[in-house]
Amino acid sequence: MRRFPLMMATAAVTFALALSSCGGGESSGDGSEATGTLTLAGWSLASTPEFQTLADAFNATDPKYKVEVKEYQDGNNYDTQMVADLAAGTAPDIYVQKNLKNFYTYQDGEQLLDVSDVATELSDETGGLDAYEVDGKTWAIPYRQDAWVIFYNKDLFAKAGVAEPDGTWTWDDYVTAAEQLTAALGADGAQGAYQHSWQSVVQGFALAQTPGADLLSGDFSYLTPYYERSLALADAGAMPDYGTVTTNKLTYQAQFGKQKAALLPMGTWYIATLIAQQASGDADAFEWGIAPAPQYDESTTGTDNVPVTFADPTGLGINPALDEDKVQTAKDFLAFAAGPDGAKAMAGIGITPALTSDDVVDTFFATDGAPTDELSKFAFSTHEVKPENPVSEHTAAIQNLLNETHSAILSKSVTVDEGIADAEQRAQDEVLNK
Amino acid sequence: MSESSVAIARPTGAVGTRGPLRRLWLRNALQGWGFILPNFVGFALLTMVPVVTLFYYAFTSWNAFGKAKFTGVENFVRMWNDGSFWTALWNTVYYTAFHIPLTLVVSLGLALLLNRRIRGLAFFRTAAFFPYITSIVAIAVVWNTLFSPDYGPINQFLRAIGIDNPPGWTASATWSMPAVIIVGTWREMGYYMLLFLAGLQTVPRELYEAARVDGANRWQQFWGVTLPMLRPTTFFVTVMLTIGSFKVFDLILVMTEGGPGQSTLVLSQYIYQKGFYENDFGYASAVSIVLFAICIAVTVIQFLYNKRKDA
Repeated sequence: MRRFPLMMATAAVTFALALSSCGGGESSGDGSEATGTLTLAGWSLASTPEFQTLADAFNATDPKYKVEVKEYQDGNNYDTQMVADLAAGTAPDIYVQKNLKNFYTYQDGEQLLDVSDVATELSDETGGLDAYEVDGKTWAIPYRQDAWVIFYNKDLFAKAGVAEPDGTWTWDDYVTAAEQLTAALGADGAQGAYQHSWQSVVQGFALAQTPGADLLSGDFSYLTPYYERSLALADAGAMPDYGTVTTNKLTYQAQFGKQKAALLPMGTWYIATLIAQQASGDADAFEWGIAPAPQYDESTTGTDNVPVTFADPTGLGINPALDEDKVQTAKDFLAFAAGPDGAKAMAGIGITPALTSDDVVDTFFATDGAPTDELSKFAFSTHEVKPENPVSEHTAAIQNLLNETHSAILSKSVTVDEGIADAEQRAQDEVLNK
Repeated sequence: MSESSVAIARPTGAVGTRGPLRRLWLRNALQGWGFILPNFVGFALLTMVPVVTLFYYAFTSWNAFGKAKFTGVENFVRMWNDGSFWTALWNTVYYTAFHIPLTLVVSLGLALLLNRRIRGLAFFRTAAFFPYITSIVAIAVVWNTLFSPDYGPINQFLRAIGIDNPPGWTASATWSMPAVIIVGTWREMGYYMLLFLAGLQTVPRELYEAARVDGANRWQQFWGVTLPMLRPTTFFVTVMLTIGSFKVFDLILVMTEGGPGQSTLVLSQYIYQKGFYENDFGYASAVSIVLFAICIAVTVIQFLYNKRKDA
């Protein structure tokens, strides 16, 4: 029992599957119909209000079935738990596609209902919809579409006498600003930038912005300049190096919120957190704003262009095992969540909805504590968001491999060239030609 | 379980005699089964069935949904050509090869030290056992901070005593494994110390007296009396340590997540990655069978060696 706890777990799931398939079939239909609810999966409900907010707003429209939220674990455990529950036949009627990495598993495993009819009714403005398209059909509906931007501390910029971002930055401008800030602020213990230890911070931008970059091509040379800049920034002392971030378990919320860094590349989900933490005192009180992500080159910079950035949409999918009767209400819920009403409900609690109309932007920036400058609004509403995890059967394996490359390069265990050559070799041997 | 079946088996010799004896046997047998049943049912449902199915899934391609596709030995062929598998295997051997002897020596040393009458004995024994009952997540956070290359106390100390280029520990591919081994040893030494302490209590005092009369010094007493008398304990500890080392998982997951690069990627973590990150349960099952085979093989060798020594 102690030897292989993990595989045991897997096998236990299988066993549960066998058990449930014996008796589950008939009883589940009658039981849930009586209560008249549709279940929706969500995680960490206490700190993640979006699911309850969506459910409440939808229930207020008096649907045939009320939506009820079922709590799951946070982080990677969400997908592990969901896979187990789907396999066992105990999963909720509607479940969230937390990122695109596992979407393939669900879609290929026939755990998603075709929702193409919902997709055709949605506004063209809905971000991230294409990501869920496989074989010409849509399998999930995005209700939330974050995007990576730059957070910056206006007070620290003023103190250092460095010009604030104006939407024209390339990554070289970002590096220069971070170094200037460090030189001016070093005496106070602040650094120019903070880049968290995630592979996304380097690889996400590189993949989205570099012309011709393709995760599944097995050619990772597009990563080189992005890694070189990150290493140079750490070497110059303009941001904490990788070892310091990982061994001291630094958090981006503390680094930026406690004014230890003036620049922070991060997803728009941090806006709501930062507002909340400034209100509660967990973060210092200071003026901040968001700016578009620095660009690969000048062809996409400036507020008259559309900056390119990345993030995975967050979508809702329907469990094909749900009652025939409930399908329409489930689809109505998806349409509601991705539509203007759902978007406004999301914006009201600081979440970036997939649909960003002017109305939504106004709601979002009307929140107490949100920045009010034009550049922040531009950065929030105007961008081309490419998926971090292009959907394919190889995505999860390649991302895992590149995550190892990420830590090897940033810890200087290998040079950038060695790390990338090794990753290309492994991608060929272990994933693409396996 | 084997003990109970032996106990039941014995009266069966009397079956031929019928009557009250047979009833007694039946009652004993039912009682025996009654006692082991709750545990046995749990074992069968949650351990045995999954393990048996695992052997099947190792020969399939399965992503947790639908039917597993039978692929024969494909998973094993893939493993043979999988560089990451060999890296993980090598790292597991690396961890085991250093962790076992180090833990043996440290825990035996502690046991010898704490087997004497010293002031505050209970306190020291408790202190040595403390890491074993501390949350692994807390251990990882604290040790990672201690190991921090630039600001950690360990490297500050090393710099203070004149080492200009102290190791990068968990932030360096070269030193991450030693760092994990150190923490693994520190964490488990208390537990094995306890086993050695129990072993030491069973060594008859007369043997030491006889040795002293013969003029043996402390060192000779240790080699000539303590170590040979401790052999059953040492054997047990070694077997437990071996199995524990091969399946090391939680410590590495929370300390380094296998990194930097693949420097601390071990087999059990590789299995976890393939299974739960990449939903490649067939391949993960195949790798876990290999890990299982290695554990069995090494344990059997240890048993055979021990038996030869006994003879």
